Formats: sequence, C-alpha cells, structure tokens
Amino acid sequence: MGQKADNWNKFIANYGLLLAFLLAIIVFSLWSENFLRWGNVQNILIQTTSLGVCAFGLTLIMMMGEIDLSYAGLTGMIGAVMLKMIMAGYSPVSVVFVCLAIGMASGLCIAILVVGLRMSSFMVTLAAWFIYMGLERYIGHGVTHWIYKYDENILKIVQGHAGPLPVPIIIMLGLFLLCWLFQTRTRTGQYILALGENIEAVKEVGLKANLLKGGTFVAGGLIFGLTGLIETLRIGGSMVYSGRFLLIYALGAVFLGSAAFKAGKYNFPGTLLGALFFYTIINGLTLNMVKFYYIPLVQGLFLILAVAITTVKRGEIEQVQF
Amino acid sequence: MGTARNGDEDVVIKASLISKYFPGVIALDNVDFEVRKGETHALVGENGAGKSTLMKILYREYSEDAGSLYIDGKNAKGMGIRQVRNLGLSLIHQDLNLVPVFTVAHNVCMGLEPVNKLGFIDWKELKQKAAPYLKEISSDIDLDAKVEELSNSQQQLVTVARALVAHPRFLILDEPTARLDQKSTEALFDFLDRCKEKGITIIYISHRLEEIYRLCDRITVLRDGEKVLTAPVQELAQTELVKHMVGRELKQQIPKGEASIGEVVFSVRNLNPMAKAKDISFDLHSGEILGIVGSIGAGKSEVARAIFGADRKQSGVIRMQGEELKIRDPRDAIDAGIALVPEERRKQGLVTTESIRKNMTLPSLGKNFCAGGFWIKQRKEKEAVAKSIKDFRLATPSPEQEARLLSGGTQQKVVIGKWLLSDSKIYIFDEPTKGIDVGGKHDIYKMIVDLAKNGAGVIFISNELDEVLALCDRTLIMFNGRLVKEVINKDTTKNELLFYVMGGKDNGSKSG
Repeated sequence: MGQKADNWNKFIANYGLLLAFLLAIIVFSLWSENFLRWGNVQNILIQTTSLGVCAFGLTLIMMMGEIDLSYAGLTGMIGAVMLKMIMAGYSPVSVVFVCLAIGMASGLCIAILVVGLRMSSFMVTLAAWFIYMGLERYIGHGVTHWIYKYDENILKIVQGHAGPLPVPIIIMLGLFLLCWLFQTRTRTGQYILALGENIEAVKEVGLKANLLKGGTFVAGGLIFGLTGLIETLRIGGSMVYSGRFLLIYALGAVFLGSAAFKAGKYNFPGTLLGALFFYTIINGLTLNMVKFYYIPLVQGLFLILAVAITTVKRGEIEQVQF
Repeated sequence: MGTARNGDEDVVIKASLISKYFPGVIALDNVDFEVRKGETHALVGENGAGKSTLMKILYREYSEDAGSLYIDGKNAKGMGIRQVRNLGLSLIHQDLNLVPVFTVAHNVCMGLEPVNKLGFIDWKELKQKAAPYLKEISSDIDLDAKVEELSNSQQQLVTVARALVAHPRFLILDEPTARLDQKSTEALFDFLDRCKEKGITIIYISHRLEEIYRLCDRITVLRDGEKVLTAPVQELAQTELVKHMVGRELKQQIPKGEASIGEVVFSVRNLNPMAKAKDISFDLHSGEILGIVGSIGAGKSEVARAIFGADRKQSGVIRMQGEELKIRDPRDAIDAGIALVPEERRKQGLVTTESIRKNMTLPSLGKNFCAGGFWIKQRKEKEAVAKSIKDFRLATPSPEQEARLLSGGTQQKVVIGKWLLSDSKIYIFDEPTKGIDVGGKHDIYKMIVDLAKNGAGVIFISNELDEVLALCDRTLIMFNGRLVKEVINKDTTKNELLFYVMGGKDNGSKSG
C-alpha cells in the first residue's frame, strides 16, 4: 500500500502540471469554440515565443545554481539599439549580428564578475538590469519608434512562414530542441547540471568548473540577445522598458516548469510547458471576455499549485530536522 | 632512520619542505613526504595534523606556499587536477563528491563519457565502460540507479570506482572506511590487496590501527602540521605509534573545581539508533560531565540525535530519575528536560537572521517568558538575555544584533545560552568547540562546568581528546558504532584514549 501511494505521489509530482494544463485546455475549448482553432493555437504559440526563448536561457543558468535577471533590461536596450541601426539604414543581417553580439558581451561581463571576482550573480545581474534600463533611455531617449516606417525587410523575420509554420514558432521550438538535446545528451550539457548539483564533483575529476560556468553565462547572454531581437520585431518597434514584463513571467515559467516532468529540478520541457501555460491562460480568459485583472490572479493560483507539487516531492526525501 | 640510498630510485612521490598557510593557521610546516613505488603508505595523525591538506596538495586541489613536489619524476608545480590525473594519481575523498541526480554509471565515468558521432553521450557504452570498474569493488550496486538513492556506504564505493576509471598508478584514500559498513569494508580491503598485487602505489589515511597494520607497509606520522617520522609498520608497535601521534602531553587549563557528583539521573539502556551505533548503554550522574569520544563515523552524533528524538530509533530505553521517557521527537525531549546543542550550529541550532534575544529565548518562551501562554513578557525576557550576555561574555553590541553577524564562537555561545535559559536537567553537547578560537573555547568550557556545578548532567561529545580529558569526569569511547571502553579521566592519559579511539584492543600492552 505504501508503495502504491508512493508511486501515485511520484506520478502527481512529475505529471501533475501537465494534467492541469490539459484540464485548462479542455475547459477553455468547451467554454469557447474558437479556442482550439488552428489560428488561435498559432496565436498562442507566437505570443509565447519571446517568453519561451528567454526562459530557456534562464533555465540553463538556474540549472547550474546561479541566476541572471539582466534580460529584463537587456531586451529593451537591444530594442533601442536596433531602432538606431535600422533608422541609420543598416542591413537586417548586421542588425541581427549586433543584437546577438550584445547579448554575448553582456553574458561575458557577468561571467567575469560572478565567476572571476566571485560576486553574487543575483546582485550583479540586478545591477545589470538597472544599467541596461539607463542605457536604453540614453540611446532611445524614451521615444517609441516603429520599424515599418524605416525597413520592412527585417520584419519578415517574424512575420514570415517556413512551410506551414510561422517563423517565430520555429525559432522557439528549434531553440527548445537544441537546448534540450544539448543539456540531456552532450557532456557539456550534463556538466552544467552537475555544476548546480555538486560543483565539487565537477572539480574533482579535473574538469574546468569555472570555465564551464562562465561559458554558460555567455550562452545565456546569447539567448537573451535573441530574446531582445524577437521581442522588438514582434512588437514592431522599440517600446520603453519592453523587457520588463518578461522578468516575472520568465522566472515564473522556469519555476512552474520545475514542477513538471522532473519534479523539483529545472528542465527544458517543463520550462516550455510553463511558458505555454501562462499564455494559454491569458488567451483562454481573454477569448471569453474575462476581465483582465483576473488573469494574473489565475496565474498566481497555478504558481501556488506548482510549489505545492514540488513540496510534496521534497517531503519524500527530506529527513526530520529540528 | 638510516640513509636508504638504494631506495631512492624507487621514490615515486617526493614532497620536500612543503609548507601551507591558512589565515591564522600553519597547516603544514616544512613537511617531507616520500612514497616508494608499489608500497602502501599509511598517513596518520590527529585531527588537524595536516593529513588532508597534504593530500590535497598532492592532488593539486591546493597549491603549496613553499616547497617542491615531484610525482613520478615530474615537477608538479603549476599542474592542475587534470594533469596529475593524467600522471596516474587519483584521490578518493572523505567527502562524497558525487552528482546525486546522475546514475551510478555516469558518476563513475564522469569527465570521460564516451560520445557518438553527433557528440551525444553514448549511454549504452557509458554503462559498459563503467561496469568493470564498479565490479572491482562491489557486485550489488545497480549501474542505472541514481546516486541519491544509494546508502552512504554504497556512495563511497562509487567514488572508489570513479577513481579507477582514470587507471591510477597512485591511489590516495582519505579515511575511506569512515562511511563504510562491515561488508563494504571487507570488499574494499580485498580490492586494495588486488591493487597491491598489480603494483599500484597506495597512500592510506586512517584513524583505525587495525586497518593500518593489516594493509600498510610504511607509516608517516604528522603532528600539528609537522612530520614526526616515517617508519616501516612492523618496526612500530601500536602503542609506540599512538605516542608519536600525541607527542608531549600538554594538560589543558580548564577552570574546574572539585566536582560534586551525585546520584544517577539519567540512564540509557540498549539504545539502537537507525544507523551506525549499536547497543549503547550508560548512566549519567547529576553534576557529572561525561565525555563521549570516537573518530568520524564512530556513531557519536547518531547516539545524541537518537536520545534527543531528532532521529528515530529502533529500540532502547531511556530513563530520567528512574522514570522511563517516551521520546518521539525533540519536543518530547525538551519537555522532559533534555537539551541538545547540535554540531552544525548554523544549520541546526540558530535562526541566523534573527536577533540574539529571540534566539536565546526561543526554546523556553512558553515555559518561562509567557503570560497566559500567549503574550511574551518582554521585560522579563530582556532582563534574562541581558544577564546572559554579561555572564557568557558575548561579544555583541546589542541583544538585538542578528545572529548571522556574530563570530562563530559567539554564535555557539548563543546556542548554548538559549538552552541554559530553559533550565534543563540533561545537556548534550555535540562538538561544541569545533572551529572556535581559544578564548571562545574557554568561555564555553566555563559555561559547561557551571552547568555541572549547578547539578545538571552533561554529555560532552568531541573529537578533541585534549579537551575531553581536561573537562570531563568520565569518558566513554566509541569505535565502529559500539561503546568499547569506559575510563575515569583522572586515571587515564591521552595515549590511552587515542589507543582505544583508533580501535586498539585491550589485550595489547597498556600504554603509558
């Protein structure tokens, strides 16, 4: 009997969130016949893109036991830089290149401070967020510009289709597959997880733990650069502080995701599910004309649920301490 | 020691005049250490003698502040862990440095995972690769099991298998048996015998005489960061060895008047904690300080936690003044008048973000400082805490100072102080002076002596024989989970204590 209860606990801990997600889909589709239309599904996926991409970068960094909040400011700053470049007539290729380069440079600076100088990643990246907000205002003067007035070509990156699927969806799912395979199948990906679990184990077998850590910050920065690019193109212009909403949602998606599939551990399928969950709720509630202020309320309830699930899981392992 | 000229070309590890300094401590002071090819070399010394530091220098986890190191004829200066591993040196740590969520096979092959053409880890080959190494040391560990599902003993065996993957020619084992159960210990010894046959050079750190004399060829003794001697094992009697480890005995000065020991207040019969310790029985008198000593893994803390109800116990009877106690959790123990000052004070004994005042009155709030069981009597609380701060000489600007901002010694005094305010009858101290400076230690000794003077029974658990010898009235010695010896402190010496702590048997000659 104990064994049975144990298995049931395990099942709920690993798949509870997925069940809740499926339940939400069923409820929404019964509530509104438009919900499951292919057009609406595409809508949800496209809306999730920048959140999903950002959350993948964050997952990678949280997996190794660190945190990086810089994306909240980086996205807006990259938007400002992009508009400057587009207005000056730079080619789409060079714009994309610069966005990604800024992201990597940001990751490198964070790596130097956190790994090299042993500063707290929370404080460093919180400061980076403020700095990027300041730079955004400095570069863009806080003015909103729309891209279509200057260059329509670059917008095709997010407005086009590749086969049956819109490009943003391909970017998100492609990055998901890449991250997932990298983390679960390659040595480096596994070492990143090991860093978060027990860094001494990594050092003891002669691996260069600091280099791995620094490299992961740079990779995270690259993904955050991509987030800035996609978000700016999706909005179609540079909006003041455009990355700020990502702060809470990306953290939320990663946490929510840690309650799925491998309960209590950050993992990429979980993060994808978490990100989709947020936008599914927004979409489903909006379709049914639910007042906007109920949306965060429902999302909050789901976060509580996620925490409850991971707590159940942890309860199995933890011993009584006083 | 003679000049072993002919042995010189056999020397494969040669450390000369190694010194290592940590803030405020000289961990190693001009230590020479030589290991010959194919021998099993024991490295012994008391806690803090510098054994682990020296091994970490060999494995290049630390770099020396002075001296030179040659491994297999190559200068190891500037090398990292990876390079010495490539030279064939492997270290099996005291700490289980494993990745808990990885499988056994993955942990064994960590850093050397086979990959396929796409650069992905080949899990099947990984398992095949790990299998023979694990089999060397254990036949009943599942390669696919997650390490977090294994017992401590099994985890330690996994670290041995992991060391083998690098095909070591030199193997360092740092107290490998402290975490092993009986069966695994046998398996390890068999394995080490096979290693010897293959000509692998072994450096073996241990606190257990029996193992040293069973396995090793030569011994090096370290004491307080200095090398005392290197000698062949058979030329060194057990008592002789212990004497070298202890050196000149310095009686510690602990302000301790004549103890007035009264009736038996507390007794434990046939206590079996869930792990490690077995069949523990002893009595404690009022006004008595009873020491419990033993090396790491001997089961001391397990006994304390089982008495206090912090861990569950299999069986055993605990009596207070003749009355049997039913202790299921710490609450029961506290209600019965038992206090435990735990070993890891930051983790277990202190709310680090709260003030000294709140920490100190936490266990006794309901009993001593509440009106109607609800409202805190603030004035009484403040007066009591102010008195404690004065009595215990706590170095703090105010009773409202957050505990995490205090020094280690002061933190420990707060933890002890909070139990003193609770007026318990029995106090258990688990390594209360670990990591505390000399001044802090003395204040703590004084607190403990005062407790006993006021008629409480004190159980004092420690690894440091000097303080146990000076502070306690009577001492119980644990080895491998059992109480092996009881001594009256004024009739014993440190040599004798150490002899039994290291598993020496009574029929051997008594040490002087």
